[in-house]
Amino acid sequence: MTGHGITTPGRDFHERTATAVADPVLQKALQNLDRRLRTAGESAAAHPEWKERAAAIRRETLLDLDGWLDRLERSLAARGVEVHRASTPGDARRVILDLARARGARTVVKSKSMATEEIDLGGALEQAGLTSVETDLGEYIVQLAGERPSHMITPAIHKTLPQIRDVLAREAHTDLPVDREALTAWARERLRGEFLRADIGITGVNFAAADTGTLVLVTNEGNGRFCTTLPRMHVVVMPVEKVIPRLADVGVLLPLLTTHATGQALSNYVTMISGPRRAGELDGPDEMHVVFLDNRRRTLLGTTYEEMLACIRCGACLNVCPVYRNVSGHAYDAVYSGPMGKVLTPLLSGGAEGADLPYGSTLCHACSDACPVKIPLSDMILALRADTPERSSPVRRRRRLFWTVWARAWSTPRGYRLTTTLGRMSRGRVPGLRAWTSTRELPRPARVSFRDRWAKEHR
Amino acid sequence: MIDALAAGLRANSCTVTGPMNADDARTAIVERVSGLVACTDDIPVPGVVDALLARGLEVLTPDDPRWTARLVDAAVGITGARLAVVQPPAIALAAAPGAPRATSLVPPEHVCVLRVVDVIATFADAMAEIADGELPSALTWIGGPSRTADLEMITTFGVHGPRAVEVVLVS
Repeated sequence: MTGHGITTPGRDFHERTATAVADPVLQKALQNLDRRLRTAGESAAAHPEWKERAAAIRRETLLDLDGWLDRLERSLAARGVEVHRASTPGDARRVILDLARARGARTVVKSKSMATEEIDLGGALEQAGLTSVETDLGEYIVQLAGERPSHMITPAIHKTLPQIRDVLAREAHTDLPVDREALTAWARERLRGEFLRADIGITGVNFAAADTGTLVLVTNEGNGRFCTTLPRMHVVVMPVEKVIPRLADVGVLLPLLTTHATGQALSNYVTMISGPRRAGELDGPDEMHVVFLDNRRRTLLGTTYEEMLACIRCGACLNVCPVYRNVSGHAYDAVYSGPMGKVLTPLLSGGAEGADLPYGSTLCHACSDACPVKIPLSDMILALRADTPERSSPVRRRRRLFWTVWARAWSTPRGYRLTTTLGRMSRGRVPGLRAWTSTRELPRPARVSFRDRWAKEHR
Repeated sequence: MIDALAAGLRANSCTVTGPMNADDARTAIVERVSGLVACTDDIPVPGVVDALLARGLEVLTPDDPRWTARLVDAAVGITGARLAVVQPPAIALAAAPGAPRATSLVPPEHVCVLRVVDVIATFADAMAEIADGELPSALTWIGGPSRTADLEMITTFGVHGPRAVEVVLVS
């Protein structure tokens, strides 16, 4: 999952957060997140009973995920959509590259999709000699800058308008004004050309209905519509948990997704696709392929972390997280950031990546409260600390030494008396604790210990 | 319900006209547009194409073999709608041989002609109804003009799709 795109420098999450907090331009850009938090927070608070219904729908498929996937595959096949099953990111990339080669494709337009980030599809396509263009404006900016998205809903949240102008002007080979309308108009013209010449449109999917074989795709700009309207072939990368039982469930899930993601009652465009273009139709793809991506997801079934598969990728947990709000996505050095990324990154990599992420949390529970499908993110972060051993670092070695000495000392009455006496004499001025006490209050030891008082009064 | 829909669509930055009868709607549509006009065959007001031609405008229809090549030059796309929903406010367009998906996407302006009898109260109700019926190859829900918040979280219009959406309500 790592290995492409730039990240905030630092050896581990702890160091990268420090770098991010010290970056004045990033901090200025992150102030814009407050705008999102206000709108999304207000409208999402209105529907507590919808959360219950959505949470139940999302867990229904997890009881028999394989069965629901089989049902979805049958429905898609009946509509003329071919399904491919990929157990690893490599499998998924291979399927898509084979399709592209077999059709002699040269240009691919992509609509923003976390699943394609997860399998680094853009990089694989470029390596295979194809041109792959991200068409969501934020994602396009991030692609031109050679970075990775820092937020799953607004990928370029870490950039200020002058920085965005610089990125686009470099691509345009001309000067562009620091003006939203002008920059948008330039990108519209440029990307319109890409849509018209693309051979393949690649998208993710927000929900895939097992009963009807309908794929539901949400965008605001219309790039998702272009990717599914003009190119001859449409390829969908679908993480297995995107399956929902019934198309009618979208009536509950979709408004919940959009209110939590952007504060909109419904996203500007919702595309519900039931198969390729039909006889006599003038647009839409001639062929459609859906790649079911597992990437260790099915190993989570039946474990503490099963409910993580209920996630609908709204980004609400990122927006409320006190850590994310201060450091933004790149500090996580992973495709998925924020609280859900802290849980998903170690799980999808089998512990190989992001093992230190669960430790960078205040466990304040804001993520669990914000989640529209009631995933106990905070509890999972805590459980992951127990399940994934931390990598060694000086800070952690010192911390472990402290706890070891403390455990030994307080295992005997003599050790306890000695350390508490020393603590009383120090009057709370303990050496080596400055970093810890800079944001916390060390309790002042009592002048006379309870043991001494007891001994005196019961003499 | 129609008033609520009109208010909701306006809040989404659409222009809303009507409700009015078919004759008034045709006049309103024809007077508003200029340039090359792309029309689907599901517009629920008869005679729009003829009225546009009579006004000397150039009209592109799906039976024209040059449809795909010329649509990029169209100034306006005029379509019908399968249904609309009051809460949240949105219109839904069904793809069909005479109603290509790109009509409401490629031209910079989209005029959508909607019958008031096709208005449904909630999105959940509409989804229940749609899921039970015959599904088109693409059902596209549109809230308003194309928009993005990717530039410092401030809304900018017309990034890929139409900059303007006008909904004409026909009683």
